[in-house]
Amino acid sequence: MANRRVLVKRRNSTRNIRKITRTMQLIATARFQAAFSRAVAGKPYTEKLAQLVGGLARAAEGLEHPLMQTHDEVHREALVVLTSDRGLCGGYNANVLRLVMEHLDARAAAGVETLVTMIGGKGISNFAFRGRELAEAITGIGDAPRFDQVEPIANRLMDDYTSGEIGALWVAYMKFISAGKQAPVVEKILPLSYEAAAGEEPASPVDYEFSPSPEELLDELLPATVRVQLFQAFTDAAVSEQVSRMVAMKAATDAAEDMIKRLTMQYNRARQTQVTMELLDIVGGANALA
Amino acid sequence: MNTFELSVVTPEAAVLDVEATYVTLPAHDGAIGFLRDRAPLLVKLDVGLLRAETPDGQRLLYVDGGFAEMVDNRLTVLTEDAKDPSDIDRAEAEARLAEAQGKLATDPVAMANRDKAVRRARVQARLGS
Repeated sequence: MANRRVLVKRRNSTRNIRKITRTMQLIATARFQAAFSRAVAGKPYTEKLAQLVGGLARAAEGLEHPLMQTHDEVHREALVVLTSDRGLCGGYNANVLRLVMEHLDARAAAGVETLVTMIGGKGISNFAFRGRELAEAITGIGDAPRFDQVEPIANRLMDDYTSGEIGALWVAYMKFISAGKQAPVVEKILPLSYEAAAGEEPASPVDYEFSPSPEELLDELLPATVRVQLFQAFTDAAVSEQVSRMVAMKAATDAAEDMIKRLTMQYNRARQTQVTMELLDIVGGANALA
Repeated sequence: MNTFELSVVTPEAAVLDVEATYVTLPAHDGAIGFLRDRAPLLVKLDVGLLRAETPDGQRLLYVDGGFAEMVDNRLTVLTEDAKDPSDIDRAEAEARLAEAQGKLATDPVAMANRDKAVRRARVQARLGS
């Protein structure tokens, strides 16, 4: 049983891996909490905005805006895909990209060309590997997306939409439902739907004074709604990424623990076998002499 | 005290949540002042300085456009960026102003974007330190 030393070596390296994965799990946990509180901090803005759009839509008697018009004649759409820059987060990127592929195939079958804006290094290399084209590739958003990073992307896509370059805008990301559940989704942002923009009917409508007119206010509010919807997708994705990494690293730590246990058992058995063999040798030698 | 609630929220965070006695905001058509019991109002904002008189003293905040809503003695300011004027770097803002002014804009969208960038940089350069 000469493999005792090999077993010790393997056990030590597994221990080191466990140390690393456990640290990564702890880091992901801390980042998750930070990302989660950031996502929650943005909620009041979104809710208030929806409430204002709802109030205005009623005051302006219906909604009509370039961002709500459908362009059925345009056979080109834009899709923003949110993936992570870094790996070691389980099926996070793979799940989003699988859904994206399904979406792209379905749109292509419908005769629609899709311009993909890819966020995150993992998605970019995945598309390069598949030989698919990207309209734009952006990296370095990181796990704390700032509004001023997302704003230019949203503004550019809105300009493309109003000028008729694209007929729809979609965003694909990992939606954060709860700490135990995240689901990849492809959501439509443009054309803006009334429900998405205005939210629920308030209990008591307020009789506002408007400055400038409700129509002009809507001109500003609706683009703001689109921007914040896209931004929320970014913050949601950041939270989901950290959860995925946390779960993946927990699984890796647990697996390492199991392996250490198994290796320890093998090591002990090997040692016992060797002790027994040596004893047998000694007993055999003593017997031969007697 | 004749106070009302003032809250400033951005897509990233709730920046301010205080009781105020008097607030002035940079509205799209000039400064506008708020006191308690003002009639419900929804107003578009310009880039500029928010000034709030609170029982604990004056609070200043740079706001990057957006909207303000006054209902039931609750003034909510929605803006895409809000920060303490002392956090603004004047030299950097002046550099951005020069850059924005030098930009060539040929279509209406680019022109609007440039004007917005110029106005934003100009206000920041004035408020910054």
